[in-house]
Amino acid sequence: MSSCRKRCKREMFKFAQYLYRLVTGTLHADSVEDELELSAVRHRPEGLEQLEALTRFNRKELQILYRGFKNECPSGVVNEDTFKDIYSQFFPQGDASTYAHFLFNAFDTDKDGSVSFEDFVMGLSILLRGSVQEKLNWAFNLYDINKDGYITKEEMLDIMKAIYDMMGKCTYPLLKDDTPRQHVEIFFQKMDKNKDGVVTIDEFIDCCQNDENIMRSMQLFDNVI
Amino acid sequence: MAAGVAAWLPFARAAAIGWMPVASAPMPTPPPDNRRKQDGLILLNVSGQKFQTWRNTLERYPDTLLGSTEREFFFHEETNEYFFDRDPDIFRHILNFYRTGKLHYPRQECISAYDEELAFFGIIPEIIGDCCYEEYKDRRRENQERIQDDEDSENQNDMVPPDMTFRETMWRAFENPHTSTMALVFYYVTGFFIAVSVMANVVETVPCGTLQNRVKQVSCGERYALAFFCLDTACVMIFTVEYLLRLMAAPSRWNFIKSVMSVIDVVAIMPYYIGLVMTDNEDVSGAFVTLRVFRVFRIFKFSRHSAGLRILGYTLKSCASELGFLLFSLTMAIIIFATVMFYAEKGSSASKFTSIPAAFWYTIVTMTTLGYGDMVPKTIVGKIVGSVCSLSGVLVIALPVPVIVSNFSRIYHQSQRADKRRAQKKTKLGRIAARKSGGTSAYLQYKSNGLLSDLIDEVTVDPSQALVCKANPMFDTHHNHLLHCLEKTTNHEFVDEQTFETSLLEVSMAKHPPHSPSLSSGSSSQGLSCCSRRNKRKSFNVPNSNMTGGHRNSIQELSTIHIRERPITNSRSSLNAKFEETVPLNCKQPYITAAVITLPTPPVTTPENDGSASSPDYSQANIVRVSAL
Repeated sequence: MSSCRKRCKREMFKFAQYLYRLVTGTLHADSVEDELELSAVRHRPEGLEQLEALTRFNRKELQILYRGFKNECPSGVVNEDTFKDIYSQFFPQGDASTYAHFLFNAFDTDKDGSVSFEDFVMGLSILLRGSVQEKLNWAFNLYDINKDGYITKEEMLDIMKAIYDMMGKCTYPLLKDDTPRQHVEIFFQKMDKNKDGVVTIDEFIDCCQNDENIMRSMQLFDNVI
Repeated sequence: MAAGVAAWLPFARAAAIGWMPVASAPMPTPPPDNRRKQDGLILLNVSGQKFQTWRNTLERYPDTLLGSTEREFFFHEETNEYFFDRDPDIFRHILNFYRTGKLHYPRQECISAYDEELAFFGIIPEIIGDCCYEEYKDRRRENQERIQDDEDSENQNDMVPPDMTFRETMWRAFENPHTSTMALVFYYVTGFFIAVSVMANVVETVPCGTLQNRVKQVSCGERYALAFFCLDTACVMIFTVEYLLRLMAAPSRWNFIKSVMSVIDVVAIMPYYIGLVMTDNEDVSGAFVTLRVFRVFRIFKFSRHSAGLRILGYTLKSCASELGFLLFSLTMAIIIFATVMFYAEKGSSASKFTSIPAAFWYTIVTMTTLGYGDMVPKTIVGKIVGSVCSLSGVLVIALPVPVIVSNFSRIYHQSQRADKRRAQKKTKLGRIAARKSGGTSAYLQYKSNGLLSDLIDEVTVDPSQALVCKANPMFDTHHNHLLHCLEKTTNHEFVDEQTFETSLLEVSMAKHPPHSPSLSSGSSSQGLSCCSRRNKRKSFNVPNSNMTGGHRNSIQELSTIHIRERPITNSRSSLNAKFEETVPLNCKQPYITAAVITLPTPPVTTPENDGSASSPDYSQANIVRVSAL
């Protein structure tokens, strides 16, 4: 009962305030301040020397990377929406937002909701300058959505659908609804040795190391930077 | 794709490693990486202001000047930079485009200067960012309108092309009354008759005293019925004639009939004719009376005479949506208030608010703050509602009105500016023409000086003249030589403005031979017609070649010489007038004439042939006047 009365009082007070503002013509005075964005977030990366030590890029490469990074994200961090936006621009025909979401999670190693330059550059270091083992590790981490150490069929299906979404509608041959599922079946047949319905990291790495195509394609992007 | 995102392509490619384990087919080989050259700084010197940027930044847009090999043309070896002799303030924005991928339009820059810079650097203006695009488009449209205005007015004020048909002349006279006296007279006469007709309509209804055996006052129209009828007939005659003439002269009759002014004209004269046909029929006399109302539309014919009326009409047309909104909101408010008023006053006795439509009248009168007082609420509720109604009426009407007013103001100022610009243009053109004629006279001066030195080597050139020749800067000398080459190529000569105009006048007068009493020579008309015919053909006639009507050759020759004498003296004297600092060339004439005659071919002559009228072997050439530079 008293809480009801308290609430009543609060509502009356708010109404009185509203009437007062109506009379004095300051009805919209507050909203301006609220519009200040939370863009006060600024992030400055670690020094060049530290980054050089942490990653396998040299000074010049780090400079080029940072310039490109800062150009697109002046605040120094990428949040998920910006990340999706940037990644989608490379795949104009399809919808790259789902896959970008998974990529974002893969890069955001400290799980703080934003990718800073250190995250960015460390991820790239693995992808471009890491050993095959490290790269495969990274790929496994990407597929393992809940990071529990196992890739289930559902997780793989999600990833596969996201990849096929990037293709868009206009493909040849026409994309059928169960194409991702079929692809997942093939993948599991290849990777799941003990047929327990999940793929562990060891199964994954073993299988990939025995596949020549995969091995060769891992070296494909070594000269990107 | 935005330029900055291109920097993230390496990232996207690296992330593609995530697809590799699930790939169903082997990957294609990556393209060879020929981007090995290091990213260096480029120095851009724009009119002294130095800009620097990375080479890669510029190469983001390879289809622009700075991003392609086209910039190599501007490379300056001595200073190892790219030099552009353009505006550095605008270049700043162009360089920012490369850096950020967004092109902005600075408000303080002139739109055509900006467009020129964009065109120079190969950037299409459509990529201007959303923040500045609207402003850019607005300014551009304004500029186009201004140029269009100027062009239109220029076309109107052009010199009369001599071969307009009668129909075209008439149409031109109708549309631009200031072009000829006849048109002006016609314009004023029609204006006067419009005024007379409207006044007659008004006066016709004034009570004019009583007739003998009547008690009631009669209107002037009934008293002097015949006089008014004659006046009306006369006015309608004039309007009909005018309409028919306009219809005949219109270049596109269908378009003319569709136009507003034509509809107004028809509506103004139709009632009279309909009245003529239907006077005897009793049943339709009521309709006949209604038709007389339409006679008042004659007043709209004044819009041809008044620019202000036209602007008002144009404003109303362009504010159609605001007016529609005003009407709609008023209607809504009227219905609401009338309903409330009706039910509020229903109770009171002897209430004038007998129905909701009856209350409409009260609402309108109150909302527009007229307040006639013929319908007044008596209950308290009614009075409250009435006061709210009048307050809201002020608001509802006051809201769309400023939009209409600002529209009108903009259009009115635009037209004022157009008039001002036209007036300014006249003086501007005058000044430019003076400078141009200065240039022409410089060339003609050079010609007479230069020709001397060209053709006659043995003539001792006056030291002062020699000085004049040498005082010309190099550019002028080369330019003059070029003009001379052109003359030789076409076998025509440059003459000054006055000569051209006089000859043109002769040509236009020659088209109407009966109207040329000013020419003295008897064979002049014949010669003029020859001249005009030659002008029409606009070709160079070598007299020794076959000429049509060859049997008149000799007569033509003589007459053409005869006629050319006058303009020639004009030109000579005008040329001489400009040579204040040099020795007048009259003393050189004997030399000149001799030199000309000894020239075998081509038969082009210099204007200095005053004394050669008698020489029969004088190489005949028709000098068709070409307009000045």
